[in-house]
Amino acid sequence: MGYGVGDRLPVPAIPAVDRMRIAYMAVSMRDPNPVHVEDEYAVACGLPGVIAHGTFVTAYLGLTVSRAVGVAAVRRLRVDLTAPVAPGDRLSTEAVVVAVRPAGEAADAGSELVTVELTATRADGVPVGRGTATFVQPNGAGA
Amino acid sequence: MTVAEGYRFPDRTFTVDPVRVEEFVLALGVEPEAGWAPRAGAPVPLGFFMYVTTYGADAIHDVLGLDMLRTVYGGTDAEFLAPVHVGDILTVRPQVTGVTEKEGRHGRLLLVELTVDYLDGGGAVVVRERSTTVQRG
Repeated sequence: MGYGVGDRLPVPAIPAVDRMRIAYMAVSMRDPNPVHVEDEYAVACGLPGVIAHGTFVTAYLGLTVSRAVGVAAVRRLRVDLTAPVAPGDRLSTEAVVVAVRPAGEAADAGSELVTVELTATRADGVPVGRGTATFVQPNGAGA
Repeated sequence: MTVAEGYRFPDRTFTVDPVRVEEFVLALGVEPEAGWAPRAGAPVPLGFFMYVTTYGADAIHDVLGLDMLRTVYGGTDAEFLAPVHVGDILTVRPQVTGVTEKEGRHGRLLLVELTVDYLDGGGAVVVRERSTTVQRG
């Protein structure tokens, strides 16, 4: 099945971003920034407490696309972070197709390039990330 | 050192280690594809490509003279130019590609754009990631 303008990609179920996930991410990324694991440090930074890595928002938006079309189909992922994510926050993602055009790159000749607008939102309605992604699909698949 | 546009960090070799990719996916709690497993040859989750993962935030902050107390990660723009798989050995090449100042609602902001190229064994860029770090004050 292909996607056309106005279509929405399936939404993945995303678990709450709890402290254990944040600690795991710090280890995975070898990120030494205490703002993700030490409340006192985060308060000194002017925050209410520790915050999740921006990687969570980027990755959840990325996997919203890759779970729908496969990692190999994705050509670009752009995400701007717009608000912090605190331990326990639940995020939801949205990906809406805004453009479909012939792929220009030789490697993707005969394919369409699909652009989706991405939004990640906290349970309180505050958007924490916005961006776009592009992926390829067979020519005419979304017609 | 003063933040300088055009500054290029030394190349670093980075192996897409299945254990680290598995830790990354465990942290997220959602696989990048249905049925995905962290074995050699599996596709790498899109969000995995960030300079922190592959080069080290401390090294980058030190060289740029940024104060971690005042910095936040602003966002990313990653182009996937060729497939990358778990087990691949890549060269990581970060460069400062933008340094700008602007007035925000709460004072001066310094925006540093870092562009990180990931190259395969043949020297071709397979992923290009541009990220923005924002420092307050």
